Amino acid sequence: MGSSAAQADYAAFLEKFIPNYMGPRNIAECALVEMEDVRQAKAVLSEISQFPFMMSGMPRPVRARPAQVEMFDERPIKPGRRIQCRWLEENDPDFEIAREMKRLTNKHAAEAAFLQKKQLQEEEKLAKQQLDTLKGNYKKYEMVDSIMADGTARRLARHYNLRVAED
Amino acid sequence: MVEVDTKDLAFKWGKQRGVGGKDKKVRFFQSFSYGSVEYALYDCVYLYGEGETEPYIGKLIKIWENPDKTKKVKVLWFFRPREIQYYVGVEDTAKDELFLASGEGAGLANVNPLEAIVGKCNVVCTSEDSKNPQPTEEQLRTADFIFYRAFDVGHCRILDKIEEKVAGVEVKFIFNRVEAQEPNVVLELDSAKKEVFGNAVASNKTEFPLKKNPSKEHTTQKSNVISINSLWKENADTNTSLVKQKSSLREQPAYRIRVESKISKTNDRQENISLDKSALRSVDFPIKGEGRVVKNLVRNEEKLKSSHDCNELEDRPSENVICVRIEEKVKSIHDCGELDDRPSKKAKLDCSVKVFGDKKEKSVRKLPVDLSRHDARGVGTVIDFEDKSRLKLVKDSRGVENGPLKKLKLDEKTKPFDGKNFVKSEKGKSSRDCSELEDRPSKKAKFDGPVKVLGNQNEKRGQKIAVDSDLIDAKVLPVVTACEYKYRLKLAKDSQVDEKGSSKKLKPDENTKLSNGKLPRASPRQFADEDKKFDHQIMEITRRPDADKSKWFRAIPWEDRMKSANELGTLVLLQNLDPAYTSAEVEDIVWHGFKENCRAKMIQRTSISSPHCGQAFVIFKTREAAEMVVKKLDEGCLWISNGRPLVGSTGTPCFPEKKPTFFGHFAIDKLRYQMPREMREAVSTSHCSQPNTIEYDMAMEWCLLQERSDFCWKQLYKRQGEELKILKSSLKSN
Repeated sequence: MGSSAAQADYAAFLEKFIPNYMGPRNIAECALVEMEDVRQAKAVLSEISQFPFMMSGMPRPVRARPAQVEMFDERPIKPGRRIQCRWLEENDPDFEIAREMKRLTNKHAAEAAFLQKKQLQEEEKLAKQQLDTLKGNYKKYEMVDSIMADGTARRLARHYNLRVAED
Repeated sequence: MVEVDTKDLAFKWGKQRGVGGKDKKVRFFQSFSYGSVEYALYDCVYLYGEGETEPYIGKLIKIWENPDKTKKVKVLWFFRPREIQYYVGVEDTAKDELFLASGEGAGLANVNPLEAIVGKCNVVCTSEDSKNPQPTEEQLRTADFIFYRAFDVGHCRILDKIEEKVAGVEVKFIFNRVEAQEPNVVLELDSAKKEVFGNAVASNKTEFPLKKNPSKEHTTQKSNVISINSLWKENADTNTSLVKQKSSLREQPAYRIRVESKISKTNDRQENISLDKSALRSVDFPIKGEGRVVKNLVRNEEKLKSSHDCNELEDRPSENVICVRIEEKVKSIHDCGELDDRPSKKAKLDCSVKVFGDKKEKSVRKLPVDLSRHDARGVGTVIDFEDKSRLKLVKDSRGVENGPLKKLKLDEKTKPFDGKNFVKSEKGKSSRDCSELEDRPSKKAKFDGPVKVLGNQNEKRGQKIAVDSDLIDAKVLPVVTACEYKYRLKLAKDSQVDEKGSSKKLKPDENTKLSNGKLPRASPRQFADEDKKFDHQIMEITRRPDADKSKWFRAIPWEDRMKSANELGTLVLLQNLDPAYTSAEVEDIVWHGFKENCRAKMIQRTSISSPHCGQAFVIFKTREAAEMVVKKLDEGCLWISNGRPLVGSTGTPCFPEKKPTFFGHFAIDKLRYQMPREMREAVSTSHCSQPNTIEYDMAMEWCLLQERSDFCWKQLYKRQGEELKILKSSLKSN
């Protein structure tokens, strides 16, 4: 999911993984990749979105999206930004709303975690299914291979009076 | 220790102290600077130790250059608790506590190449020793380390008291220094002010809120009982408090102190209520002559004291209580006392008094005697006088030094005081306060603060200070107010005069902080208990002190720190931050909200992060701090500017112990082992798959899944955004 990747044709710089402290360990990791210029970056983005981009031939394609400021770890403080904070008094009219917001924040986090979990389950399901298919396919090819190899195919061909190309 | 290139241009010697050695070729220095950092004698520094994960910490006690141009420093060591664990079991050490090397033997001090110094270290002495200027809360908070005990390297034991001389260095160089640091100035002023405020109230109610002497309170209570002389007592209180106030004000060594005394009149003939007014100190930039002045004062004071003693004895009603109380105060003062020139911070109160204090010892001593003899009445008076005279003296000397002269009269007679003028009263001894303060406008601000605190009435009273002796309370208060009022006048008056200095502006929130009556002394550790003490002012998040402290050492990787913090329970997860905040800003917010230092890390956004809410992991110094923060965030509500209450919880990050399988990457086991030749030779490649392969079909399935989950996330965040919006729109403050 969501990883940026570099086209083999382009030079990519400064690859850095975004650490994942929060979620389960097996969610997709993300990396920041810097391209040489805007044109390349755009090309990479569009190509990756059009074709499934496989790394090392793995079926789960890598995706790309433009990086955002918040994705960077060591970034300077935005100049001119003023942050204020204060402790709300308990009799503040907004106190209850603030409480509610805190509750909502927790709820949202829980929802996100749940969705994450759900998504992982789906991924797992798909992966399992694909693996089964893959194994089935592999078995099929192996079988084909083996009947060719051990002469079964030729015997059968003779038996049925068929001509099988020997090459 | 490591030799570093010494030809660094960033290095500069400071003031030379002298020469020594054979042929006088060794040059000793007072200070040196490296880059923008200046190191002076008795500064605490980090030293690089090869193979050590943590730097050594020591105090520079000698700095010199050998004839061969090698630079050396002699370092008196501090030990970290674990360094001496082997020799002695130390329990109850704070995490940031150090032990001063002491006694004689190996490990006390060493000569090291100057280049081994890697940076400055802020070590604060929290010893309760009276000679140690007590650190302010601020200092404690910003301290890298604290110490109050020593480790005897000869006998391998812990000493609870710092010895008079350590490694040939006088203890005063080991304790905190008296020079206030620039950044602290504001705070200190404030605390002084705070105290003033406290005193005023106290005298009003005849209750001393000061925690320092429990017995004081006791006496005050007594004083209530003794109604007859309560007037007197009140005065005494005021005096003392004023004195204290003065002293506190005065305490800042770095500043010039002006003292003005006023006498206010009472109709009570018998007692003269002389109120000493307090000392104002004008805050100015550091002046060299300070020490001298103080000393003079002290001397004078003594003299005056003695002369007055006799006078006063007769006409005062006796007041044990007063005596006692004063005595106590004196004592306490005196406790803190001996150090005129130390940098002190904590000692605002005490110190100031202290300064005078040395002399006072005598009076203290005298006190008991007096008490026995004359019911302490005389004593009370005496003391009173002392105070007064002191004030005056102070004033005097001040004047001499650089102000208009002020004449002091000591007396029993009081002058009516109306706002601006003092009239001399009956006995013709008047004291006039001539002290002109050179003040900064900022000072004014300072004074205003307390006045306000006292209440509106004060203002009124300030103008008429006619005092009814009957109304004790009234009287006392006015006096105090008067002083303040006067100050203000003066300030106003003098503002033209001012020497300018860098102005210290009081921030409104600082002011308010003061007013919550916490003694400056409270250490950060106590902070946790003082829940609810937060003022509900809006705090502008600025850089916290020492935020830019240079970092000489490569930081331990965050993952490792987070892991150990998680084990120690010092890790907190903050939620509902603006995702745009940086880690440094989060640290600042925590500092402003909780007064705790921490290390924070914003969790970087990924493709599935919420656009509404940023999260950050925060590591605190102690578990208590972390728990306090979580609790406080749970119960209270820290409201950050753009409508976000901060949410905190105990963080539980996940760590990469064993990476679980990543779905979607398959391999046929058999193939893996009999890897075909072509593959072995091929470089691992990435490619966009061709539509005629099995992988392509599988990839398509993944793409579908990814699209679906993207859609889910989008919907989820959209809905969450709407929920937040609805809630925000119901905010009353909008």
